[in-house]
Amino acid sequence: MTLLQVESITKRFGGVVANSEVSFSVDEGQIVGLIGPNGAGKSTMFNMISSIFPPTEGSILFCGKKIDLLPSYKVAPLGISRTFQNLQVFKNMTVIENVMVGQHMRTKQNLSGVTSMLLGITRKERKVYEEAMDILRFFNLESLYDQKASSLSLGKLRLLEFARAYATEPKLLLLDEIAAGLNHSETSEMSELIKRVRESGVTILVVEHDMDLVMSICDKLVVLDQGMKIAEGTPKEIQANEAVIAAYLGAEIEEEVV
Amino acid sequence: MKLQGVQQTKWWGVVVFIVAILIFPMIVTQSFFITQATFAGIYAIIAIGLGLLMGYAGQISLGQAAFYGVGAYTTSILTATWGWSPWLSLPIALLVPALLAFFMGYTMSRLSGYYLAMATLALGIIVHGLLVEGKGITMGASGFYGIPQLTLFGMTINQGVPYYFLVWFFVLLVLILSLNIVHSRVGRALRSIHDSEIASSSMGVNTGRYKMQVFILSAVFAGLAGWLFAHMSYSISPSAFTFDASILFLAMVVLGGSGSVWGALIGALLIRMIGITVHTLGEQFTFITSDSEHVIYGLILILVVIFMPRGLFPTVVDWLKNTTIKRVEKKASVAVTPIKRSVSE
Repeated sequence: MTLLQVESITKRFGGVVANSEVSFSVDEGQIVGLIGPNGAGKSTMFNMISSIFPPTEGSILFCGKKIDLLPSYKVAPLGISRTFQNLQVFKNMTVIENVMVGQHMRTKQNLSGVTSMLLGITRKERKVYEEAMDILRFFNLESLYDQKASSLSLGKLRLLEFARAYATEPKLLLLDEIAAGLNHSETSEMSELIKRVRESGVTILVVEHDMDLVMSICDKLVVLDQGMKIAEGTPKEIQANEAVIAAYLGAEIEEEVV
Repeated sequence: MKLQGVQQTKWWGVVVFIVAILIFPMIVTQSFFITQATFAGIYAIIAIGLGLLMGYAGQISLGQAAFYGVGAYTTSILTATWGWSPWLSLPIALLVPALLAFFMGYTMSRLSGYYLAMATLALGIIVHGLLVEGKGITMGASGFYGIPQLTLFGMTINQGVPYYFLVWFFVLLVLILSLNIVHSRVGRALRSIHDSEIASSSMGVNTGRYKMQVFILSAVFAGLAGWLFAHMSYSISPSAFTFDASILFLAMVVLGGSGSVWGALIGALLIRMIGITVHTLGEQFTFITSDSEHVIYGLILILVVIFMPRGLFPTVVDWLKNTTIKRVEKKASVAVTPIKRSVSE
C-alpha cells in the first residue's frame, strides 16, 4: 500500500529552482533512500514532506490525504516524524525529557482538572516516563537518561534525535543524514537500529550520503540531481544506472577502483 | 513520586516558603514593613506571570501594568459604582485582562519576534491614557475612591496582618499553579519551544497556541494582583499603572531570573527591598531622592545582564550545586587515595 505519494513537486526560492517536477512514492514497510550530490534538493524535499514550508507546485499525499499546506504541528499527529541534519535537540533538557516531548501529542492530560494543576504529578506522567525509558532502552541510551542533552557526543545526539522522533509513534519516519559525522562502528549500529525500527512497523525515508549504509538497508532508492529525479529503483539497479553513475556515483566508483 | 531526570516541583521549597510567610509577621511587627511585604506579594504575583511569559514563551511584555490596572479598575467600578460584592467581581477582574490578552495575541497570531513587546508597550500607554481621560467612569487622574474592603465570614480583612496573609495566600496559589504548569507536559513543551521551535512543532506541539496561553495566564495573574491592590486601598489612581511600573516588573524578572518561577518571586522581593532601602536612606540624606531608585534599578539591570544573564536565582542555585558536588568528590577522592596507594605498593 502506498503510504506517501509525492506528485510532480516543484519548489522555487526566488529564481532558484530547488526541486523540479519530482514524483515518487513510498510503500508501507519500505526503507526508501533519497540520494544525490550536494545541492540536489534532498533536504528541500524533506522539509516539504514534514511541512516546514509548502511546495510551489504539485502535491504531497500521505495515506491519500493532501498534507502539503498543513502547518507542521498538524502533520506530526497524522504520523510523520523526522530528525534534523543540523541537530535540533532540546539542549537545555535532559535526555529523557527530550523523548517525553516526542510523546507530547499522545499524552494529552485533562488540563482543565484543577486538582492535577494544584497537586502536580499525575499517574499519567509516570506512565509517560516509563514509556520514555523503554524507548531509551531500545536506542541504547538508557544510561544517559538524566544527562543534559548539551553534554552528549555527536553520535549520542543523533541517536537521541532518532529516539525522540520514534517516540511520536510515526507511520513514516524521515531520517535526515542520520549517520553524518558518525564513525564506522556507530554507522553500523545505526543501520541495525534503522532495520529494527522498520521491523517494529515504521516506514522509513532516509536522506543519506553514506553509500554503504544506503545500499545495505534500502529497498528502493530515488536519485535526485540538480532538483530533478534522474533515477528510481533497487540499490542494484541504481548502481548499474548510467545516468546515476554519470551524475554522481561515477566519481566515487572510479576512486574506489583506483 | 520522584521521576529522576525530569524537572519536578520541589515540595520542600514550597514548605519553606509557607513557613517563611507564617513567621515573617511574628518577627517584623512594624505596620510599615507589613504593608511593604503585602505590596511585595502583589508584585510577586505579576512577576511570576511575566517570568512565565519571558522564560517559557520567550516573549517580552512591556505593558504588564495595563493588565494590572484593568484588573484593579474593573473591580473598583463593579464594587464601588455598581455595588457588587468584591468576591463576585474577582472572576470579572480576571476575565477582562484575559480577554484583552486574547485579542492582542489573536491579532498577532504567531506572537513572534518583538511584536508583542511593541504591542504591549502601546497597550500600556493606551490603558493609562483611558484611565486618566475616562473621567466619567474612572474619575480621572485624581483617582478612584470609595472601594469597599474585603470581608470574609462577616469579618473585614483590614490592611495590616490580615491583608498580608490574604495576599500571600494568593501568592502561594499562583506559585504552586505555576510550578505545576512548568513541570507538566505543557511546561516541557514550552521549554522545548525555547530550545528549538522547529523541532518542537515537528513533534506536534502547537507552538503558537502555547505561547498565547502563557500570555493570557500572565494577564490573569496581573489582573488578580490588580484586584488585591484595589481592595487593599480605599482609593487607586492611574499613577500606579504607568510605563514605569511595567519596567519595574520587568526588572524583577530579569534580576530574579526568567525561566524560573522562584526566580521571579525572589526578584520581586529584592526589588521591593531595594526600593524600601533607598526610601529610608532618602529620609536621612537629602541628596538621595526618589529618582535614585530608578538609577539603582537601571544599574542592577545592566549588571545582571552582563554578569549573570540568566538572573540571580538560577545562577546561585547552579553555583551551590557545583560547590556541593565538588566537595563530595573531594571527600570521595580523599577516601579513595590511600587504598589506591596501598594497591600500587
